[in-house]
Amino acid sequence: MNIISVGVNHKTAPIEIRERISLSEVQNKEFITGLISGGLAHEAMVLSTCNRTELYVVPAMHEVTGEYLKEYLISFKDARKDVRPEHFFSRFYCGTARHLFEVSSAIDSLILGEGQILGQVKEAYRIAAEVQAAGILLTRLCHTAFSVAKKVKTRTKIMEGAVSVSYASVELAQKIFSNLSMKKILLVGAGETGELAAKHMFAKNARNIVITNRTQSKAEALAEELGTNRVLPFESYKEHLHEFDIIITAVSTKDYIISEADMHAAMQKRRLKPVIILDLGLPRNADPEIGKLQNMFLKDIDALKHIIDKNLERRRLELPKVHGIIDEELVAFGQWINTLKVRPTIVDLQSKFIEIKEKELERYRHKVSEEELRRMEHLTDRIMKKILHHPIKMLKAPVSTADSMPSRVDLVRNVFDLEEPNQSH
Amino acid sequence: MNNILSSNFPLFILTQVVSMLYIGTTFLYAAHFFRDWQPAKKYKQPALLLTLLTHLVYLGLLTSIEGYRIGYSTFNIMTMVALTLTTTYFFIEFTTKSDKTGFFVIAFATGAELISSIMTAQAPGDGQIFTGIGMGVHLVAAIFGFSAIAIAGLYSILYLLLFRQIQRNRFELLFQRLPNLEVLERLIMHAVAFGFIFLSVTLFAGMLEQNATGGAINILDPKLITLIAIWLIYGVSIFIRPLLGWDIKHMAYLLIFLFVFITLLITLMTVFSPTFHSTTL
Repeated sequence: MNIISVGVNHKTAPIEIRERISLSEVQNKEFITGLISGGLAHEAMVLSTCNRTELYVVPAMHEVTGEYLKEYLISFKDARKDVRPEHFFSRFYCGTARHLFEVSSAIDSLILGEGQILGQVKEAYRIAAEVQAAGILLTRLCHTAFSVAKKVKTRTKIMEGAVSVSYASVELAQKIFSNLSMKKILLVGAGETGELAAKHMFAKNARNIVITNRTQSKAEALAEELGTNRVLPFESYKEHLHEFDIIITAVSTKDYIISEADMHAAMQKRRLKPVIILDLGLPRNADPEIGKLQNMFLKDIDALKHIIDKNLERRRLELPKVHGIIDEELVAFGQWINTLKVRPTIVDLQSKFIEIKEKELERYRHKVSEEELRRMEHLTDRIMKKILHHPIKMLKAPVSTADSMPSRVDLVRNVFDLEEPNQSH
Repeated sequence: MNNILSSNFPLFILTQVVSMLYIGTTFLYAAHFFRDWQPAKKYKQPALLLTLLTHLVYLGLLTSIEGYRIGYSTFNIMTMVALTLTTTYFFIEFTTKSDKTGFFVIAFATGAELISSIMTAQAPGDGQIFTGIGMGVHLVAAIFGFSAIAIAGLYSILYLLLFRQIQRNRFELLFQRLPNLEVLERLIMHAVAFGFIFLSVTLFAGMLEQNATGGAINILDPKLITLIAIWLIYGVSIFIRPLLGWDIKHMAYLLIFLFVFITLLITLMTVFSPTFHSTTL
């Protein structure tokens, strides 16, 4: 029994190739249904995100190899002109398990420790289960991967710290102010960047967010979405600068929209109470001279990138801990796989004993009362369990090498004179 | 006169144990703050509690020699400073759930305790003992006042360091580990308020006691002048901020200066006048 994974991801192929080979949910279902119904696989799952398309397959025949699956996917996507097998990676057996554990715990992601991948793996498993392509092996593999991801999240700091500019701006604001819900925030520009920053602020309990935008309707729409319903006309927002503790600017403009004179006047009015300006515009929206004012923190995208770089550095330091967790789970998963190999022998062994028990009891069925027969049945059940306990325990016990398992199985089958097992799946 | 440690073996042992516990606790807080060492995170709070309890037992044994009264000797005062600093920090940690500033406060307390231990081992006798409730209040308030000054000074240093790190885009260890600027500011202002209250009590209890014992108050006494000056600066700094909008950054510089100045003053007194309250206040 093998489990193969092949695929393209951000490490093996450029974005054009990843785009070419990615599968929508409908295509995903069609693809794995084809593999199962075509008798090529016992189980199959496809993980397709913007950074990766990966197949996890339990093959049903020896001919279904990694190379075969690569060609199968390329031809399914009709991408032979653009995509070559060299763009793919291949993993087998424990390599597959390790890869999925690394993917789920976000250490294989483009942004180390990003928070979306686990949800995407869960979605891939849901689709496979929905089309009944997830059997015992993939189910166990995926559930172990979810458990690994959970342990990694709780036991390590791999997901800590901001790794996006908009979130880094919130992290910085929280290093200056203790409670964002008590702070007045001005958002200048209701574009995508500004919106994201405002939403991150809102998520950290900031409720007093005032929005201003050249097109007032856009500001009103965002204010309504956030539930703050507070908008300032773009023409007059400068008159209110002194009221705000945090000012976020994200406007596309060549000139500075906030000058040093504007902020100097505002700081005088607010008696030098600290202000942070998060300039998310490119080109910059706030005059850099503002940063020289007393109690003023002016941070542009470059400054926020410093925070991101530091956070990524810290995440990288957590990698040995993550690998430790993965190794632990991999050993447990490998042992479980081994127990799968002995399962037919255990079933045969139990069946044989039940058959003997029933034959012997049958001989006494008409010689004793029903009550006595029940007692005899109970007694034989207990004896049978005790006799079988040790051989079953021995079969399930972890093995030091993969070669030890067949010899154990053979020993038990010979001692108890069991018939040869069926070789399918 | 004999040294008190040479004639009291349990006190000798406890002096060493308390010092070791302070060093150990400082090490655990440092290991957690600087290296994020998980066992340190787990054991630092129990270590802090153990240190506090052992210190109380030590103080009980030390003062039991003279009927549980604190002596004027500097080693007694330094050990009390260490205890009040640690106790104050203990309450800060348990009430604010923030354990990020522990290293800085406990390291200072450890310094005070080590000085006290060394001086105890070298002191020729038990030291002069105060009498009277008024003098007791004066002494205890002075110790708490100095602890508040020390905490305000230490947190002011942390405030300025974090402020500079943020302004210079150096998002390193202090940025990651310290509480935010607003929390540090609140801690500073609370310490200043408590410091002012305790210094007020110190000043007035001292004057009342002097008056009650019939001694004349020498208004040219440098100690009295210094205490009044510090008391005034603390009092003014509480009101100057809301009234004039003086920013916390300038206050932090002032509080650091006061902290360094008073620490130097105590050190000098320790060296040149180990029983600095002799005949006049």
